[in-house]
Amino acid sequence: MKRKTLFWIVLFALLAAGGAAAACLHGGGTVAVITVDGREWDRVDLSAVAVGYETTVETDLGWNTIRVEPGSIAVIDADCPGHDCVEQGAITDGAIPIVCLPHRLVIQIEGP
Amino acid sequence: MTRTRKLVFMALLTAVELTIWVIEGQFPAPIPVPGVKLGLASVVTLTAMAVLGRREAGAILLARVLLGALFAGSFSAVIFSLAGGALSWCVMSALVGLFPEKLLWVVSVFGAIGHNLGQLLAAVAVTGTPGLFWYGPALLTAAILTGAFTGLGSMYLVRALRAYEHRRS
Repeated sequence: MKRKTLFWIVLFALLAAGGAAAACLHGGGTVAVITVDGREWDRVDLSAVAVGYETTVETDLGWNTIRVEPGSIAVIDADCPGHDCVEQGAITDGAIPIVCLPHRLVIQIEGP
Repeated sequence: MTRTRKLVFMALLTAVELTIWVIEGQFPAPIPVPGVKLGLASVVTLTAMAVLGRREAGAILLARVLLGALFAGSFSAVIFSLAGGALSWCVMSALVGLFPEKLLWVVSVFGAIGHNLGQLLAAVAVTGTPGLFWYGPALLTAAILTGAFTGLGSMYLVRALRAYEHRRS
């Protein structure tokens, strides 16, 4: 193992660990913020949800049906072509957002 | 390599890259995270860059993106492909001459980081939600892991191609 190779392996390992740590640190919080085209559509405190319900976000671009459960939120149906947002399933923390690009819809979980 | 031979080789690489890209897109992502996939098609781009050159790799990549649009069939997918591909090409073009072939995977990692950064910028621009930048660190980690993997793929492919050329001549 050459020293240069080792240098890059260590550097990238540290960067990857740092990125994962930062993502986890940002993972706290319980407030789901639904944004459409840069404007806040709705804000739900998932820890305060007692009974699950569904809501539909509809704009000129299309619709997404969102399922809100105690502690989690998911897009369960949409008329976008890719269905990436639906396949992603429910999110429970802020580490990873749900993004529906064709409809410019973003769901992120933030701190209270 | 004669002009005709080069042209044929480039066409072949384009077909290979497009096939890999389409097939990879058919599989559900192992981790259902938006924007994260292995990106096996980039093996071909980096290999072309190492064996043929920057411009040739760029031409193959652009051809794959445009042809891929026919298969993906959605406009936003093309924008994303283009944003990620363009930035990753710029980064790898700048770096490929600075590293020995043994460290080709390092170039690939930087290319993957550029790719994910390009897609993140496009996502922020399209959705108008700067809060998506919070997703950057997770994408960085994903880029390092996938970039190292595809980079090793390119490295061994380049080695095999060089050995083949050597035997032929």
